[in-house]
This record gives sequence, structure tokens and C-alpha cells, in this order.
Amino acid sequence: MNSTELAELLSRVRSGDSDAWGELYRGYAPAIFRFCRRALPSREDAEDATNEVFMKVRQKLGTYDASRPFTAWLYKVASNHCWDMLRRRRIRQDLETGDIETLPLEHPDPGQLELLQAEHTSKEVRAGLEKLPDRARMALVLRYFGDMSYDEIAETLGVRRAFVGVLLLRARHQLREILQGGAESAREATAGGKL
Amino acid sequence: MKDSENSRIDSPHFDEMTGMLYLEQQFDDNRSKLIEAHANSCASCRELLRVLKNETVWLREAIVEDEEPVPARLVGNHEKGGAYWGWLAALGFGAAGAYTLWNGIVEPWMARASDIGFTQGNLMTMLFFSGAFWSGWADVRDGIEFMAIATLGAVAIWALRRFFRRPTRVATATVMGMLSLALLMPHTTAAADTEHGNPSYTLPAGQEVKTDLFVAADRVLIDGDVDGDLVVWAHEVEVNGHVKGDIIAFTQELRMNGTVDGNVRAFAQATVLNGTVGRNLMAFVQTVEVDEKSSVGGTVTLFSQDVQLNGPIKGDILAFVNQLEVDGIVGGNMKVKGNNLSVGSTAQIAGTSAFEGPNPPSVESGAKLASPIEIVMSKPTPQYSTWRFYWHETLRWGAAFLLGMVLFLLAPGAFLDATHSAKKVGLSMGIGLLFLVGLPVAAIIACATIVGLGVGIVLLLIYIVAVYMSQVFVGAWVGERLLGAGIGVGPTLARLALGLAILRVIRIIPFVGPLSALVVIVWGLGAYALTVQKRMRQQSVIA
Repeated sequence: MNSTELAELLSRVRSGDSDAWGELYRGYAPAIFRFCRRALPSREDAEDATNEVFMKVRQKLGTYDASRPFTAWLYKVASNHCWDMLRRRRIRQDLETGDIETLPLEHPDPGQLELLQAEHTSKEVRAGLEKLPDRARMALVLRYFGDMSYDEIAETLGVRRAFVGVLLLRARHQLREILQGGAESAREATAGGKL
Repeated sequence: MKDSENSRIDSPHFDEMTGMLYLEQQFDDNRSKLIEAHANSCASCRELLRVLKNETVWLREAIVEDEEPVPARLVGNHEKGGAYWGWLAALGFGAAGAYTLWNGIVEPWMARASDIGFTQGNLMTMLFFSGAFWSGWADVRDGIEFMAIATLGAVAIWALRRFFRRPTRVATATVMGMLSLALLMPHTTAAADTEHGNPSYTLPAGQEVKTDLFVAADRVLIDGDVDGDLVVWAHEVEVNGHVKGDIIAFTQELRMNGTVDGNVRAFAQATVLNGTVGRNLMAFVQTVEVDEKSSVGGTVTLFSQDVQLNGPIKGDILAFVNQLEVDGIVGGNMKVKGNNLSVGSTAQIAGTSAFEGPNPPSVESGAKLASPIEIVMSKPTPQYSTWRFYWHETLRWGAAFLLGMVLFLLAPGAFLDATHSAKKVGLSMGIGLLFLVGLPVAAIIACATIVGLGVGIVLLLIYIVAVYMSQVFVGAWVGERLLGAGIGVGPTLARLALGLAILRVIRIIPFVGPLSALVVIVWGLGAYALTVQKRMRQQSVIA
């Protein structure tokens, strides 16, 4: 759908055309579901969130600034909603603040990183992602799924902009640890089996 | 430099943070050029950048990759929204229901409840017993008014749904909640004496319990005095002593020969009253006998099969019974709804008398009535030929639809999941049957302990709401079967409205109707239970 078609569709939705709303929903609901699925810990949460996001979209469509990409706005609404859901649950396990001193700043071993990437499938990465603390997972999803800028991530997660890089790097480290843990367990299990 | 505080290149090699921020284009040009220059001359840092870049690609691909199928209802055909009529109708019926609820039930029954002793004086009674013993339940269950309560229950369940996904938290929260309530109770209640029979319990004559007494036993004999309320769960209960508060009994047989200064409230199979009740008698009992030697100082409210009232009653009588025989003195008014009313020759009724039932009441010649009995002859079967019958059925449909709409708008995921679960007909019905029978049993067992009492009663109330809600899920499923999957608010509600209407029509068919209602309850309850179980399991796996 090009920008002219989208603008026309949005205009029809604003005027109350339910067919247009259906078209918009059909076009974007799968992407929003996938986004929510990555951001939230369960499929049911993602389904709930998708429906709720579109209810919000319908209410807030009047506030959409047509000079910005619609998809970005949609992801912004979705990310705010998902983060609100997670925040309401109060199950965030990570600290609200942190600083760079808590991160290892040494030069990591490129060989080990490459090995890690080679050893794990996308499915395993996604499984690891689900085990991350909420904020770490959200940071990665906002950045690498929603293509959000550091400013937008900072605004959504309510952190200082300078802290976004820390969040992202910490999330990568945590993900590596989760994956390494899984790989080591698998290796131990294999070794144990051989014995 | 945007993130200079986060980066360090003082060492011979730059760190990982610097590398990542460089790759993510978070540095200004000057800083980027410095890093590039360093990377060009340093194989190690160049290698780090390469690996980090690969990691970003690897991560992005994994996150974006579309592996899991999108739920069908999110990608199905969106149909023309046309449920405005449904919204309007539902709101209209909701308003009518609320109006009926207030004018027909709440206001009169609030006055009635106050008359029969449900005051604010005893927090324990108000919190735990007013709801379960409230005499308006029969009307409420039978009418459109249940909608309001079910809706409130649904809202409460929704409000707690995040917690329901974590069973341990639910249990903790429930127990903590009950403990909090216990702590909030007035001192006299908090200091209650709790007894467990082994297997029976006896309070001997001459002994006095100086507080409320809670007893759970096979047989309970109270020959002594209780300076408070007596709350008892037992196979048989006999009270020969003096209870200065109320008696609240869950038992097969209650025999009250002594004196109660307060009220008697009984859930029993049989209740025999030979003693004195200072205030009111309320009984959900199969058979009630008030002996001529006994007396009731206040009102009598009964939901019973067979009742014989021989002793004097100072206040009013309100009875929903199969058969009532009055041979004593009634100081107030008498209102009876049931099959048969018999007023004996020794009966005296000082106030007005009203009877509604299929058979004319019999009044013996010696009976003294202040005014003739006002009789409304009613037919036991639905009056298919009256508009009122269809109006009530329409209101019932509206109430169920309103509840479904609220559920869908508050928790669309759970609503659609439950509808989806209803597709597994056999499994849903099996689990539904298990819950239909097992849950009340579990709740009653839970009532055997003081902390469990609150949990048990809450469980029973949730159970009642869940039973009512079951039609919503089955209705939504029926609508979806007929019209196909609907996407969005309007189409989903349209399907719900259609499905509920079909269920309502089936419900009014003689013989088939009651059976279909039972099937719907079992089916819908199972679908709901499956949804709750699925969500709990997923949460526990994630946790």
C-alpha cells in the first residue's frame, strides 16, 4: 500500500467507514501481533494486546501526524501498550537504573561470539529472548523489530537516552548468557549420555 | 558526541559499548571517524566490529522472523461493522434491567434485609453471610437482575485476571486477603472460639463460651451458653442452651430447643424450632417446623419445601415454599409464593395476607384473618401466550449480551480463547461437568475452616457467576459457527447476539429447553475452565 492509498484509507477510517477499518486492521494486525508476541511473554498476552492496541488506534487515530510513517506510529502505540502491560504486572526483574560500570567493558572474544551465533538457531534465540527480563526484551524488540531510535526507546521505557545503549548491550549480554547456559547444558547432557 | 559518557577508547582497543554505539550510528561524525581510523589500523577492533555487526543481523533476523502463525481471528475477514443496533439494544436492555433491579428488587429487599436483621452491626455477618444468605437470591437468579451482579463479577475477575495467571499469587492473595479481613473484624468477632468435633462436639450445660463460637463437627450439642454468635457446620445440631447472638447453621438437621436472642439463619435439610428466637428466622431448608411452644420475635423468611408454623410469630412472614401450613399467631403481614397454602383453625393473622400460586389457599373456619387473603393464581408453566413472557425472555437475552459485551471489551483475548475452547465440545463438556459438580463440593469443604470459609464463599459466588457466564461463550461459538469467524468488535458482538438469541429460543421450548440450558452450562463452564487452565500453564512455564 503506497502512501496515497494509505492516506485515503485512513481518511475513510476517520469518517467511520467500517470497511476501511477492516482493511486497515487486516493489513496491520499480523505485524502488530508479531511485535506484541516478541515483546510480551505469552501468545495470549500478545493476542489481548493486539486487540487492545487496535482499540486504542481507533480512538487515537485523530492524533496521528500524517507527516510521520504510519507504521512507526502504530509500533509506538503498540510498544507503549505492551510496556504498560508489563509495568502494571510489576514483574520486572531488572533494576530501574544502572550504569555502565556494571557492564564488562573489556574487548570480548570475537571467536566466542561467532561460535555462539553459529551454534544457535533463530528459534533458540527467540526462546532465549522470552527468558530475558522485560525491559531487556523490550529494548531489543523496540530497536530491532520496531526500528525505533534511541530517543523513542528512551521515551517508551521511561529512561534517560544515554541509558538506552547500556540497556541494549546489557540485554545482548544476558541473551548470550542464556544461550551459553543452554548450550553448555546440552553439551553436558550429550557428554553424560556418552558416558 | 551523543553517548560519549558511555564509551571509552582510551585503551589500545575500544570496548564493546563503543563498538555497538558506532555500529548503531549513535556517535557524531568526528567520533565515528576516530573509531573508523582506529579500526582500520587495528585488526582486533575491526574483527570486533564485524562480529558485533553480524550479531545485530543475527538478532534482528531472529526477532523479525515470522515463525509463529498469527491467530486466525486476527487475520480473518473483517466484515462490515453493523453492531450498532446491538450496542443500542444491549444498552437499552441493560438500562431496563438496571431499572427493574433497583425498583423491583434492590430497594424493597434492602428494606426487607434491614427488617430481618442484616444490619451493619456485625461485620462478619455482613461480609461472609449477607451475600450467601441474602433472601433475594432466588429472585435474582430467576430474573434479568442477575445480569448486574454477573457483570460486576466479571469486572472483578477481569481486574484480577493478571493474578489468576499466577496460581501461587492467587492463593497467597486470597489467603492474605482473608487474613486481612479477619484482622479488620471487630474485636468480638476476632476473638471467636473455634472448635472441631472429634467427631462430635458438646458444650455442656452450665458452661459458657464468652465469645462467638465456630464449630465444625459431626454432631453438635449446645447445652451451655454462648455469649456471641454460634456458627456451625455439622451433620446434626441441637441447641438447648442460650445463644446471645445469632445462630448460623449449615447442617442436615437443626433442632433449636433453647433460646436465641438474635437471629436464626439455617441452611439445612430440616429445621425444628421448639425454643425462642428473639429476632428473625431465615431458613433455606427443605422442611421447617415451628412448634406451638416456640416463638419468633421478628420476621420469618423461608425458602423451603414444606413448612408448618404452629408457634407465634411477631413479625411478617415471607415464604417461597411448596406447601405452607399456618396454625399459629402472626403479628405482621404474610406473603407466600408457592403451590399450597393452608391456614388452620387456630391461626390468627394480624396483618394482610397474600398468596401467589397455582392452587387456591385453604382457610379453615376458625381462622382469624385481619383481611381476606389476596390471591394471585399463577400457572406453573411459562405463559407463552403473554407478551410479558417474551419481554422477559428478551430482557434475559439482553442481559446475557450485555455481560458478553463487557467481557469482550474488557478481556478480548480471554473471551475469544474461551469461545475457541468451546470448539472442543467433548473436552469442554467433560471438564465442565467436573467443575459443575466438583467446585461446589470443594467450596463446601473449604468452608470447614475459618480461613477457608471466606475462600469457600467467594468460590461459590465466582462459581455462580461462571455458571451464568457459560452461555456467553457457547452463544459466541454458535454465532461464529453460523456466520464464520468475525474480526473486530462489531462482528464479534453480532455473532454473540445471534448465538445468544438462538440459545434463548431453544431455552423456551418445553422439555428441550431445560436440558439445553444444562448442556450450555456444562459446555460453557468447561470452555472457560480450559481457558483459565491454559493460561495458568503457560504462565507457569514462562515463570
